[in-house]
Amino acid sequence: MNYYFKSAIAGSFLLGTLAVNAQDLSRKIPADALAVATIKGGNLTQLMSVTELNQSFFGKKLMEELAKDQQADFRGIADFGFNLSSDFYYYNQSNDSVSYNCFLLPVKDAAKIDLLFSKRGKKFTLKDQVRSYFNIDSTEMVHWNGEMLFSVIPTEKTAYFNRPEVRERFGLSKIDEVSLYPATADSTVVMDAATATAAVEEQEEIVTPEPVKKKHSIPAKNRSKKSKLKGKKTAAKNYKKKPIRKKVVAEQEETEEMGAAIDMVAVDSAYTENDGVEDNSFFYDIKLKKGVLAKWTAKMSDDFFAGKSQGSILSNADFTKSVDHNAEVTIWISGVEKLSNAYLPLDYFKGVNFMGGYGTANAKLFLEDQLIKMSSAMTFNDDMGSVLRKVHQRKLNKKFLKYVNEDQMIGYMAYAMDTKAYLQEYPKLISKIYGSVYADEIGMATDLFSLLLDEEAIGKVIKGDGIFIFNGLSQKEVSYKSYDYNEDNFETTEVMKTKKETLPDFLMMISTEDTRLIDKLIAYGVKKELVKNNNSYYEISIPKSPMALYFTIKDGVIFLSTNGQEMQQIVNNTFIAKLNAKHKKALLGNNYAAYFSPKKLAGKIPAEELGKLAKVEKTNKTLNAMGDIYIRSFPMKGNTFSAEVSMDLPAGHKNALKYLFSISEDLQK
Amino acid sequence: MVIGNMFRGNARYFLLILVLCVFSSCFQIIEEINMAADGSGTVNLTLNLSASKTKVASLMLLDSVNGYKVPSKQQIQKEMEEAVAYLRKSHGISNVKKTMDFENYIATVSFAFKNVSNINHVNQNVLKKLKIRAINNSSYSFSPETGIFQRKYLPAKEALVEYNKLKPEVKNVFKEASYTSIYRFERPVAVNTNPLSKISKTKKAVMLNAGIMGLINGKTNISNQITLAK
Repeated sequence: MNYYFKSAIAGSFLLGTLAVNAQDLSRKIPADALAVATIKGGNLTQLMSVTELNQSFFGKKLMEELAKDQQADFRGIADFGFNLSSDFYYYNQSNDSVSYNCFLLPVKDAAKIDLLFSKRGKKFTLKDQVRSYFNIDSTEMVHWNGEMLFSVIPTEKTAYFNRPEVRERFGLSKIDEVSLYPATADSTVVMDAATATAAVEEQEEIVTPEPVKKKHSIPAKNRSKKSKLKGKKTAAKNYKKKPIRKKVVAEQEETEEMGAAIDMVAVDSAYTENDGVEDNSFFYDIKLKKGVLAKWTAKMSDDFFAGKSQGSILSNADFTKSVDHNAEVTIWISGVEKLSNAYLPLDYFKGVNFMGGYGTANAKLFLEDQLIKMSSAMTFNDDMGSVLRKVHQRKLNKKFLKYVNEDQMIGYMAYAMDTKAYLQEYPKLISKIYGSVYADEIGMATDLFSLLLDEEAIGKVIKGDGIFIFNGLSQKEVSYKSYDYNEDNFETTEVMKTKKETLPDFLMMISTEDTRLIDKLIAYGVKKELVKNNNSYYEISIPKSPMALYFTIKDGVIFLSTNGQEMQQIVNNTFIAKLNAKHKKALLGNNYAAYFSPKKLAGKIPAEELGKLAKVEKTNKTLNAMGDIYIRSFPMKGNTFSAEVSMDLPAGHKNALKYLFSISEDLQK
Repeated sequence: MVIGNMFRGNARYFLLILVLCVFSSCFQIIEEINMAADGSGTVNLTLNLSASKTKVASLMLLDSVNGYKVPSKQQIQKEMEEAVAYLRKSHGISNVKKTMDFENYIATVSFAFKNVSNINHVNQNVLKKLKIRAINNSSYSFSPETGIFQRKYLPAKEALVEYNKLKPEVKNVFKEASYTSIYRFERPVAVNTNPLSKISKTKKAVMLNAGIMGLINGKTNISNQITLAK
């Protein structure tokens, strides 16, 4: 131990002094990982030193929590033993039968991690410099050495374990037998368990190509009686306490021996047999499945440390391309369709492919000196890509910009889509999703759709681009009836009271080419007295509403506004537009663009809406502490669609990480 | 036509979002009981949505909101008729009247009773007819001999369960809603056990004003025992 301790210290010291990237663990991530999340510790510690982190409210709280439930004295986050300036990973690896959630963390000082476990009373074993910890039923494992900590949480695929041939192979009860019949005779159970062991090995060959080591399948008779008895005892105890879930399948020290789990299952079921109560096949199944999972997971993590994984994710060009050294956090998904297939119960959808055409995706978080930015990108297959390119070929109407004044607005939302292309492509998309199953029906339905709709005509009425400009909130007085009670005998009298309603002020613009239909609608509205003609623009009357809505059509643009004066200006060509280059670029260059300035909204929310004064102050303080927010999508690049959300940092903050800490600290107060 | 529908559909949807975000909502339930010395009396129930008439008016333009069906004016009238018809048939109840004010969204139901206990079953059913899940486990009694008027009330756990099932936007409707009860007598009140209620100047009436939320979560107790002066 002492030798180990020293070498660990020396090793971590050495590692710590080496360049940050020397400990990049991404090479250890298998090539078939479905999703990978990366946290760049180096970038984060550059933005905020470990000392600063310890002194932050978050650091202090964490230390307090740790001090509460254990005796260990951690002086800081560095005491956990991780290399905080290196990269932290999460990845998911799945096959048809099991899904592994894996955490891969860079270790700076293994001895400190040893302490982290031992002080919490969690026992671990040491073998070939690798420490291993197993939870009570071995379904969660943590392994670590001087370089990395690897933790796996496996989840079974229910659909796989429901397949009749699989159930038979593992000796699981037949589905319709569960809860119908009590467990079978003792001898059969033991035999079943033996078959299960064999089946597990067979399965493992599917999971990983390497042949299973002989030592993994120690015959039951070679194992010590003591462990058997122990298992039996614990199982018995647990069975009485909590029949479901928390089953002790194996003791910690025994899990190193592969196959022990299976043995315990046999012992356990033998016990319940003798007990002769209720139906046990359900619990038996759970235990058996857990045993199988534990075995697979142990094999998987052994292979991981032995470097036996089938190639590294670094060989995947799409993954390496997605790696952005400036991003603090990156999430990469090898294929949305693949991932959804791995998780959705496809049996139920009977071949309907909802996520068909969705390819790789990634999302990144950037914490910079001036802004926080989150970007995401999704690559589609050629079919979907071509649909999206067609739908997104429209640009925002330039005329809109003549009616935007940045001094007045608090935010906007703009979109540009091609209605005609959308209506034409929509049936094609539907047939892609359902086509394989309901080809005939979908074919007819989509033909009917096209027959009924004149895509071109609709595309002329509503071209597909529009903008919503939010100008603020205003209050209008409304009257209502209430009751007063006289003091003499509480006789009620009806009284009129007034209150203020808060209404949004906005201007909406939509492009149109063919106004005949809208003209008819207006004429109909005027006739029915729903619309009032104010000569150059119209007023829509909403019954009993204090809100007025005005609209007009001019130069191929439908205008809808809450402000009559503004409408007059639009009609008279006296509207004064003002828009900076950044907004112009965002609006005209992208299919979707949105902007919101919380600062401009601060102080404009009527106190009545928020209630207490403290709440008003808190809301305004939060709004004031936020910078301008921008959302935009970028033009399609090949088959890749990407979008970005960003927020400018308000003045007085060194960088985005420190800002996030300060704002979340404020919110805690 | 299809285009027209599409256009109208969009406009409606837009209106819905606007309405739900914008207008405030609250309502008022007033329950008045006038007791005669012989144990008979009259009841007046009022549901006042006037303070949220903007919202109600806008909502009534829609078929359904957040998955809740919005009843039409005709439907509401029909249900009110049914409630009144039920009352007329009820034992000990007479002189049933109703008013519906669709301008201000105020509905009232009034009737006379032979004995205050006649209300016990009726009240609940009227509220049910009006689609208001309210005050359960409630009963009234009056003894002309002792001059004791009793309002028994036990908060119903189901109310909170039902309330918790509602969507947050709908929950807000109840936050500012209020419940008022007024009991009037021919003789002055000597003892009034509910600290939340107050006695009028003439001492002949007792009023209690409470938020609906307190009734839903069981924090407000509206039980009362009123002893009249001999």
